[in-house]
Amino acid sequence: MSINQLIFRNLKKNLKNYYLYVFALMFTVALYFAFVTLQYDPSMDATKGSIKGAAAIRTASVLLIVIVTVFLLYANNIFIKRRSKEIGLLQLIGMTKGKIFRILTAENFIIYFSSLFIGVFIGFSSSKLFIMILFKITGVNAIATLTFSPNALIQTVIVFSAIYLCIMLLNYVFIKKQNILSLFKVASTTEVKKVSLLEMIIGILGIFFIIIGYYISSKLFGGDFTTMNELFLAMIFILGSVIIGTYLFYKGSVSFIFYLIRKKKDGYLNIHEVLSLSSIMFRMKSNALLLTIITTVSALAIGLLSLSYISYYSSEKSAENYVAADFALTNAEDAKHFKEALHAHHIPYSEKMIDVIHANINMKKILDTKLKELKVDPASMTLPIISDDDVEKINLSPDETLFAGYNDMMQKFMPLKSSGQIELKGRHEVIPQKYLGLQKEYYISYFFTSGGLPVAIVDEAIFDRLQKDMDMKPSVHIGIDIQDEAKIQEADEIFQKTTFSGNHDSRLAMSSNQKRSMGLSMFIVGFLGLTFLITSGCILYFKQMDESEDEKLNYTILRKLGFTQGDLLKGVQAKQAFNFGIPLIIGLFHSYFAVQSGWFLFGTELWTPMILVMLLYTALYSIFGFLSVLYYKKVIKAAL
Amino acid sequence: MYILEATKIYKSYGNKFNKQEVLKGLDIRVEKGEFVSIMGASGSGKTTLLNVLSSIDQVSQGTIKIEGKDIISMKEKQLAEFRKRHLGFIFQEYNLLDTLTVKENVLLPLSITKTAKKDAEQKFNELATELGIYEIKDKYPNEISGGQKQRTSAARAFIHEPSIIFADEPTGALDSKSASDLLNKLQKLNQKRKATIVMVTHDPVAASFSSRVIFIKDGQIYTQLIKGEETRQTFFQHIMKTQGVLGGVQNEH
Repeated sequence: MSINQLIFRNLKKNLKNYYLYVFALMFTVALYFAFVTLQYDPSMDATKGSIKGAAAIRTASVLLIVIVTVFLLYANNIFIKRRSKEIGLLQLIGMTKGKIFRILTAENFIIYFSSLFIGVFIGFSSSKLFIMILFKITGVNAIATLTFSPNALIQTVIVFSAIYLCIMLLNYVFIKKQNILSLFKVASTTEVKKVSLLEMIIGILGIFFIIIGYYISSKLFGGDFTTMNELFLAMIFILGSVIIGTYLFYKGSVSFIFYLIRKKKDGYLNIHEVLSLSSIMFRMKSNALLLTIITTVSALAIGLLSLSYISYYSSEKSAENYVAADFALTNAEDAKHFKEALHAHHIPYSEKMIDVIHANINMKKILDTKLKELKVDPASMTLPIISDDDVEKINLSPDETLFAGYNDMMQKFMPLKSSGQIELKGRHEVIPQKYLGLQKEYYISYFFTSGGLPVAIVDEAIFDRLQKDMDMKPSVHIGIDIQDEAKIQEADEIFQKTTFSGNHDSRLAMSSNQKRSMGLSMFIVGFLGLTFLITSGCILYFKQMDESEDEKLNYTILRKLGFTQGDLLKGVQAKQAFNFGIPLIIGLFHSYFAVQSGWFLFGTELWTPMILVMLLYTALYSIFGFLSVLYYKKVIKAAL
Repeated sequence: MYILEATKIYKSYGNKFNKQEVLKGLDIRVEKGEFVSIMGASGSGKTTLLNVLSSIDQVSQGTIKIEGKDIISMKEKQLAEFRKRHLGFIFQEYNLLDTLTVKENVLLPLSITKTAKKDAEQKFNELATELGIYEIKDKYPNEISGGQKQRTSAARAFIHEPSIIFADEPTGALDSKSASDLLNKLQKLNQKRKATIVMVTHDPVAASFSSRVIFIKDGQIYTQLIKGEETRQTFFQHIMKTQGVLGGVQNEH
């Protein structure tokens, strides 16, 4: 048999064994190529919008390369180890290491580059789909065209060739380092050790670290960290403590807990426990690092996806908070023009005017500033003030003040007490008031509230008194609501065409603007998240393929002893539920606490978007669990 | 009453055009409490015979009954069930699970029969003491010697008191001291517990521990020797002589 024949035979055999590797390779290439195509596509300019958008895409593509490289190197590592026997055999019959390396290189070259080109093809065909999704979520009305970008192709080929060189380099090192004997031995290393006291301590320490991390994350914006520096340090600490805790948890706690269960059984294990409990324990130590990485990556992906989805999901809601009507104006002249235009187009509307004055308020008794660096003087804060006559359903007595519409994020940094005494400071007089609490509704637009401060509602009499004392004309909030929702779009077009002299904004324009920028980041994060998901799923699957190969002999023994395939499969299912489930569950917890600590910086809705993201991630991730159970089924069937 | 009754069993591999007959109409009967050895040259079909008798492999033709039950007509699941409850195995390569301790390995067959934990404990203690593996019960297979592994494997075969125990070259991977040690233990268990043992071996010393030796050649029974009242030493001489004839090598004296 000539060398060429050998290479082709190996190829045929490998393709069958490593179909998922080939699949994963094609998929990552496709994802990368599609992404780069988007980057170069001229029709993308509409969504990129700004330099920031373009930079985000470029950063994401670098991150994508990193993930893909790590993934491919890891996968290759598993596969070359599996072939160590074959390599040893070739060496035994007198082939030089150089020649073996050349064979491997040739084999890999064929698999790798054919997958690369198939991947490019898939990526090209799917890039239209991606661009359509992107347009859909950013709300850009453009027709997705399919243009083949030679730049994208060149970039993809360069990147993946570089990765190929890395893989070959590692293979070269692997072959160079081995001698015939050690090549035959690779598979038979065992790692059984008794559980020691040290391990118990490590395990408990791990859980402790995770809990501390969670605890601090829940306190992050609670006011204990008062400078940006402290906040930053706290975040680093949380990250470190949770990641180290996770590692120690896998390294110590899992084997320790299993050890206790086993100890309790006192040697009397049933078949399911044999295949799940003891098998997991057997490999826990070498798996700890891998599981930690997978957990961290999953947590990162879920966290980022949740946060970006939260901001996308809340864009309408936050536009409502910023703009207190469909269209908000501050100039009566402007409003007149706009209303005439609406009339001309037969669009029915309602109008609401609210007088607003700005006054300094002494809020010392009800406000804590948490962040020293915010430089706010609680004794004299300028807030907008409106009268209770302008607000439906609210009627206050002259000594009462109600606050409304305080931005969630500002609230975290400057929380208000639920009640207390405040003072309204006019030019000459100071009016003491009783603060009643905070309402969620937003009555006036962001032009008046400096972006997020609450508005103070006072009794009509007080309002007049204050206004006289201040001796200035109140500014006015004019809110125009379109009665027929279907016509808002049309009204918005008129609004955009009209020229105004004062402050003005349209809620629709604001929300679609928000959607555009959030949509792009969500798309990028989604893309990365998908890659994270697929690579981590594949890595776990490969690992399981590897383990099943090692355990094949056990299945043979057990089946000879009279255990049915069904018995074995149930044990394997439990093992897979653990192998895939534990990193997922811990990852979900991590991301939950991460999102919980800072979600208000991103939007106004927490639960719906977060749970949706988590469910979707879990569903996609479980596919890999099912695939590995199917693989085990095949191995068990072939075992006898 | 025979515990194992195989009549006219044929086994062939390959397809219509390239057929390799391994077993050609073999008859074997084993009585309860017997310790039978099956000997023969390499390729004579010993291991195939053991595999079909123990239901791991299927015959092409013929009937096999264990305790009066026909195992040929059984389905895959029934066979597995039958193996679990009625058969015990000792293999040349020990076939212990690396992930389990000695004790866990031995108790594995009991987990199916839903034996109470206390009974299981008692059974293990007795058997482990008899086989001399009680001290190493919490060790893992890669921490103990070959002889200890094989005795663990034997304990696993005996623990659930099967009707019949099949041993495939149990001493194949052991040095002579550990081998005779194991065989002594097997013989003792055979006598004390009235356990039926069918052992395949090519080692005359191992065979001399049994009560009857069946020689097979080219897929058929060549002859058999019964120990009767002979000492192990003279029985060994007889086995050697027969093996010589069987191998076509004449003794020189």
